Amino acid sequence: MSTNLLIVAFERPAIDWHAVAPEIVLLSVGVLITLLDILFLEKARPYMAALSGLGILATAIPLLTLGIDGTERVLFDGAYVVDNFSLVLKAIFLLAGYVVILLSTNYIVDGDYWESEYYGLLLASLMGMIMMASSRDLISVFVALELLSIPAYLMVAWRKRDPKSNEAGLKYYLMGVFASAVMLYGMSLLFGVSGTTVLSEIADSIDAGNGSSSVMTLGIVFVVAGFAFKVSAVPFHTWAPDVYEGAPTPVTAFLSVASKAAGFVALLALIFVGFYELSNIWEPLIWILAALSMTVGNLVALRQTNIVRLMAYSGVAQTGFMIAPLAVAGHSLSTGNQALSAIVTYLAIYAAMNLGAFAVIITLARRTGSAEIDSFSGAFHFAPGLTVAMTIFLFSLAGIPPLGGWFAKFEVFRVLATSGETWGYLLAVVAAINSVIALFYYATIARKMWADDPSEKDLNNIEVTPSLVSALAICVLVTLLFGIFPQLVARFTEVSLLAFGV
Amino acid sequence: METVVFLISAAVILSGALGVIFSKNPVHSALFMVQTLFGVAVLFVLLEATFLAAIQVIVYAGAIVILFVFVITLLGVDRAEDLKVEPISGQRPLAVVLGASIFGIILTVLIVAVGGPTGEQVANTPIGDASDNTKILGEALFSTHVFSVELTALLLTVAVVGAVVLSTRPTKPLISTLDKQQNDNLEDELEEKGEE
Amino acid sequence: MMIIASDPLLSSDIGFSVVAIMLLKVVIAFALLMVSVMLVIWFERKIVADMHNRVGPSLAGPWGILQTLADGIKLFFKEDLLPERADRVVFRLAPYLSLVPAFLSFAIVPIGGDFTNGGDGTVSIFGHRTLLQVADPPVGILLFLALSSIAVYGVMLAGWSSGSKYPLLGSVRASAQMISYEAALGLSMATVFLFSGTLSTSGIVSGQATWNWNLVSTGFIPFIIFVIAGTAELNRPPFDLVEAEQELVGGFHTEYSSIRFALFFLAEFMNMITMSAIAVTLFLGGPNGPILIKQIAWVWPILWFFLKVMAFLFTFVWLRATLPRLRYDQLMDLGWKLLIPASLGWFLLIAALNIGEDRGWSTFLIVPIGLIVLSLAALLLNGAIKKAKDSSLHAADLSEISEGVDQ
Repeated sequence: MSTNLLIVAFERPAIDWHAVAPEIVLLSVGVLITLLDILFLEKARPYMAALSGLGILATAIPLLTLGIDGTERVLFDGAYVVDNFSLVLKAIFLLAGYVVILLSTNYIVDGDYWESEYYGLLLASLMGMIMMASSRDLISVFVALELLSIPAYLMVAWRKRDPKSNEAGLKYYLMGVFASAVMLYGMSLLFGVSGTTVLSEIADSIDAGNGSSSVMTLGIVFVVAGFAFKVSAVPFHTWAPDVYEGAPTPVTAFLSVASKAAGFVALLALIFVGFYELSNIWEPLIWILAALSMTVGNLVALRQTNIVRLMAYSGVAQTGFMIAPLAVAGHSLSTGNQALSAIVTYLAIYAAMNLGAFAVIITLARRTGSAEIDSFSGAFHFAPGLTVAMTIFLFSLAGIPPLGGWFAKFEVFRVLATSGETWGYLLAVVAAINSVIALFYYATIARKMWADDPSEKDLNNIEVTPSLVSALAICVLVTLLFGIFPQLVARFTEVSLLAFGV
Repeated sequence: METVVFLISAAVILSGALGVIFSKNPVHSALFMVQTLFGVAVLFVLLEATFLAAIQVIVYAGAIVILFVFVITLLGVDRAEDLKVEPISGQRPLAVVLGASIFGIILTVLIVAVGGPTGEQVANTPIGDASDNTKILGEALFSTHVFSVELTALLLTVAVVGAVVLSTRPTKPLISTLDKQQNDNLEDELEEKGEE
Repeated sequence: MMIIASDPLLSSDIGFSVVAIMLLKVVIAFALLMVSVMLVIWFERKIVADMHNRVGPSLAGPWGILQTLADGIKLFFKEDLLPERADRVVFRLAPYLSLVPAFLSFAIVPIGGDFTNGGDGTVSIFGHRTLLQVADPPVGILLFLALSSIAVYGVMLAGWSSGSKYPLLGSVRASAQMISYEAALGLSMATVFLFSGTLSTSGIVSGQATWNWNLVSTGFIPFIIFVIAGTAELNRPPFDLVEAEQELVGGFHTEYSSIRFALFFLAEFMNMITMSAIAVTLFLGGPNGPILIKQIAWVWPILWFFLKVMAFLFTFVWLRATLPRLRYDQLMDLGWKLLIPASLGWFLLIAALNIGEDRGWSTFLIVPIGLIVLSLAALLLNGAIKKAKDSSLHAADLSEISEGVDQ
């Protein structure tokens, strides 16, 4: 009989209110939206988008003060950490969320959807991501993951009358739940071996050589597989094309950027804080995921005729690039640090360029009524501005200098090449080949938009709503700025998760 | 004594789990699931986690699975279905092979695990005194994990909102922006109807 | 194993006499429950008859007291029917799923024992001290909730497995009703736990030893909610939609006959007795009461317990004779929109008072502030419900017209 846990009087946990201020602000906005919806019903609906947008901007204020303050804050016995890494990622999430709201504004009004609930769910999902960025504990990681996923399942199925949307929702939900189950099993194994859920303590337990390494391996494999689903890495990508196609396009943009980034955040936190020591287990795993994702994603993307499906496969390929630095991150501490900044850089730039591409797709698809690539032919004739913007985003995705995507890819190659591992060089070669393949299909779209004859008779200039213009402006600005002044982004993404010298 | 209880409940759990998969009738599957959950509850009691055991029965058996049964019987999908159709040929044997191999890997790993499958604690160490575990759990939830607990509340609210939204059609936009004209007409008609 | 060790009987070595006492307690509890069921059925019929100005059972035995026995014997010899479209295994299983939880949950009720003046509620049998209850698990009341959630399966599956539509409708109603009201039931119990600080039944009873019954200290509201929700949980009138004869023939047990029907009947009345006993334990101090004649001290707690349970049983019968059955939407409204928010709100208020006591806040401030907050919340909830109802009516009208226009 063990009675080593003495019963003490309950003590209120000390909470650093400044550290959780962004979460509280966001939550309050969500509650406010719900209340207004209850009280005013459809009278309040036109203001919901603006209100949630403002809410996100308001959330950025405490984020800024935290960034200026700059101290690392540890809450709840290490389960929740607010450091530079989490602040940068929270900022990325908020910006992505803001752009998605700009994209949604007109789309959701027009399409017979529930409006206030849509923004409520979007904010809830964003809340999950913000929580994910700070979670350093298996339980909070899992709660955050569910909090960001469940609203996403619902939003994917938001077009109730469209069977494709229903199919997408069901597929995403079933696959997501399956992945969660696998991941939870992995987490339970990790907890069983280490006896703790806090990631840094799991690391200590690994250091101390507790438990069986084979069980630990199994746990890590399952957890990584669960998040590989979230970031849609091959072979866990099968849901992506159908879900991207069926979901309302702003939701697709949200999934392809924010949801993916959240999966990466969790993966990074787990690997760098939790199992960094066991690099011999996760490095090969990541290597395979990266190589497969890049190759399969790009090859399949070549054959797509629907632009949203193409973006889905391009997203899979980009995941491969993003995850690649992790494959050598365990080589040495400095490589690990470089890999981390490379991934965060890539995430920030990818968010801007991918959201921008989706903004153009949403606008053009509204005009043409179709998401087939052929329907975008000759877009230059009726939407010159959009065509230019799209070209910028596409070439940035392909990694052409001097755009943001180039710098992101450059960082990845730098980490792979300087690691000094044969496997790293090999992966760099794979990545290089894939960059060329990717350029081909990105350029095809651009060529069609510029050079082909428009399929439509109506050549009046397309009408772009103010919110879409601002969304495009933000994305173009970030993409160009990070390409031309890469040191800017590098300054922000020089973050570290590794407790060096321990 | 403990071993005997463990073996019996393990048999109950595993046979229940197999029953869930192999029953042709969904209601029977649900009942086998209850059996499995009960077995797990017994294991919790064995580990002196009596609170968890009670909650396991109340929440899972009493709320979740009964809702499964509720939906199954209400929708009338409670007859055995023909599962012989195979949309992609070779899918089923492949699934069996993959499933069996994953099972094999897990089993092997757990058996050959050096130094026992678990590290810090032995698998059957109670977390504390049985009469106090409600207290221990409560304190853990509302101190270390309070943030997760609070956000779980948000999660559940979101799930409820989502379920309601997905199960009902939007009332207003049916007639909103697309054709305001028709909407106005309808409302006029409504008023006329009211006057009549 | 520490699980049942709060009973002093099991703290020492478990020998033959201990096992014998345990067995004896089980047998006594079972026999007590069976006999009480027999008498309660007679009691109910007699009281209802009086209230209806009829005679009621009067032929079998003095005052017709053996009527239930006669009915039971008659049922026993009836033919046991198995409907053709029934799911054979589940059809046979369902009555036991009803009966077993009904009996098991009685096991945690302390039916006697002196808890006053620092007494621990134990009595001496053959030189062993033991509690007057079959088991006293640390999660006591939760066990009751768990078992009552299992009992839902009995009703649900009985209706489904009959392969007939009226029983199915009855069982679907039953499961929805029992799940809904279980939430209110649990929440009203939670307020009691705030005072007792334990889930164990003997602990809860000993916390009320000095006339400080939870009925008063929790402020009546949880008790009222408990009784309403408990009545609904039992599917007793006015919440007997499960077996509404006018609508559903006989409800979930339409297809049952003979001994299987008798089992359902038995379970229903056992549940009624257990629910009364639990209510007494939680709110009315269980067997606590004054000990008038010291020589037979052990008799008094049992007597008080018996009297309190009788009061409850009478109330249940009284309700049946007085109130008309609720409509289904009224039932759901009452459960979800009134009882659950009310019990939750009251729970929060009591919790605030408890915390205030710990931190030395002024009670005179907490109560009004708490009440204001709660009434604001209630106002918001009511407003939202009203709005939603209006807009859905409006939408229904609109769609009706637009369908007409289409045609």
